[in-house]
Amino acid sequence: MSETPIAKPHVLVIGAGHAGGALVGQLRQFGFAGRITLVGDEPHTPYHRPPLSKAWLKGETTTEKLALKPGSFYEEQHIGLRLGERVQAIEPDAHRVRFDDGTTLDYDWLVLATGARARQLPIPGVGHSNVLSLRNLADAERLRNALKVDRKVVIIGGGYIGLECAATARALGAEVTVVEHAPRLLARVASASIATFLQSEHEAQGVQFRLNTGIDAIEGEHAATAVRLSDGTRLPCDLVILGVGAEPAAELALAAGLACDDGVTVDADCRSSHPDIFAIGDMAKRPIPIYGRPIRLESVPGAGEQARRVAAVLCGREPSAPEVPWFWSDQYDLKLQIVGLIDTDATSVVRGDPASRSFAVFHVKDTRVVCVEAINSPPAFMAGKKLAASGKPVTPSELADSSADLKTIAA
Amino acid sequence: MRKWQCTTCGDIYDEAIGDPDSGIAPGTRFEDIPDDWMCPTCGSTKDSFEPYTE
Ligand SMILES: Cc1cc2nc3c(=O)[nH]c(=O)nc-3n(C[C@H](O)[C@H](O)[C@H](O)COP(=O)(O)OP(=O)(O)OC[C@H]3O[C@@H](n4cnc5c(N)ncnc54)[C@H](O)[C@@H]3O)c2cc1C
Ligand SMILES: [Zn+2]
Repeated sequence: MSETPIAKPHVLVIGAGHAGGALVGQLRQFGFAGRITLVGDEPHTPYHRPPLSKAWLKGETTTEKLALKPGSFYEEQHIGLRLGERVQAIEPDAHRVRFDDGTTLDYDWLVLATGARARQLPIPGVGHSNVLSLRNLADAERLRNALKVDRKVVIIGGGYIGLECAATARALGAEVTVVEHAPRLLARVASASIATFLQSEHEAQGVQFRLNTGIDAIEGEHAATAVRLSDGTRLPCDLVILGVGAEPAAELALAAGLACDDGVTVDADCRSSHPDIFAIGDMAKRPIPIYGRPIRLESVPGAGEQARRVAAVLCGREPSAPEVPWFWSDQYDLKLQIVGLIDTDATSVVRGDPASRSFAVFHVKDTRVVCVEAINSPPAFMAGKKLAASGKPVTPSELADSSADLKTIAA
Repeated sequence: MRKWQCTTCGDIYDEAIGDPDSGIAPGTRFEDIPDDWMCPTCGSTKDSFEPYTE
């Protein structure tokens, strides 16, 4: 894009994270010639969040390398950046937003991409300075400074972020206990086989687990010194990491009167109940055709797909076919890739030997692959992605047979 | 030899290193990687990669 964009229409994007960052780039790629403004309350251009619990936290990559695009990109593409600024209110009828400092900005189309924030726990002591959550770079910097050799770390929550932090903390030489109130890890987001496998991998790395256990309080005068569990146990600690999920940052939308229900309610095009306002990323709850119900995804691929969709809609282009949701995580040398959402009614079959640390769990419902969880097994993930999208009929036994060629099965 | 970056997860494909785990030999030009190759970290498709300059 070398020509200066015309002033209208003006697309205003609130939230300079994965979804907002992907959208502005995609709009220009699709030839959008109007004005684009990207507003974000963090001081950074959009950056990759996943490494904050993984490679970046371990010190294996630099802050500079987290950027989604080089700094020069925004100027070259005539994308107006307003970083370190916070939108405080939306006035949908006036087509205008209001900033913290009282100034306003008009738009033709507004895209909300404010993401989610780390959930807090309503227990005594969560406000202590060494009780940390992880959502953005500022959080990650605090965490990195606190994670040291031999520190006693209690991680509350056995979801992805908790487990990724556990793996990183062990790699940095900390002592780690993960407390989870459900009877198993990753209860909402992975199958029991994968959870069991990951738990034993973490145990082999020295992580301790307290499952089925709640938290009564975080003890300590000014700083947390111990975590008191619901069974009465006291876990002494130097640091507490809260990994208890995220909540959609939807208050702007709510206050503006947009329909919300655990996130902003949007249609397949990510359009909210107001026709000129869209919502994408972790804050959007959108119908997903293969599940026949609205779902709020919290994933980078989800944010990217929604961004592409809105870009296509605003540019009057035919949108691409909806993607089956997918996700990845890594812990130690294990790469986990998941396509589809866990469905408890499905039959699950394991392909490969978990002891080899390269295997996959296929979930099949009425001859259709609805989900695949692959550990160190890109071919299984690739086949799963194809099968989940195509709906090609399969049998559990052919999937379980490691000698049967997956490419042929998925073709 | 050039580098390519996965726009989903930020991983770098370095032509000099290849992706031996997926059978891509060191020195393989990005254009010569099969179309069904995926990002070894996140599983994005080949078309999610962009040229990368440090
Ligand atoms: C530690 C960590 C690890 C993760 N690992 C993975 C992974 O391995 N794989 C995966 O797929 N996903 C992962 N995720 C999830 C992924 O990062 C999110 O799904 C993704 O960031 C969602 O993009 P988003 O744009 O909706 O939200 P965000 O990326 O959070 O961006 C929202 C932005 O909006 C800003 N904002 C909010 N309100 C305002 C306002 N009023 N005015 C201005 N700006 C505002 C926020 O500060 C933020 O910068 C991880 C997340 C975290 C935190
Ligand atoms: Zn990738």
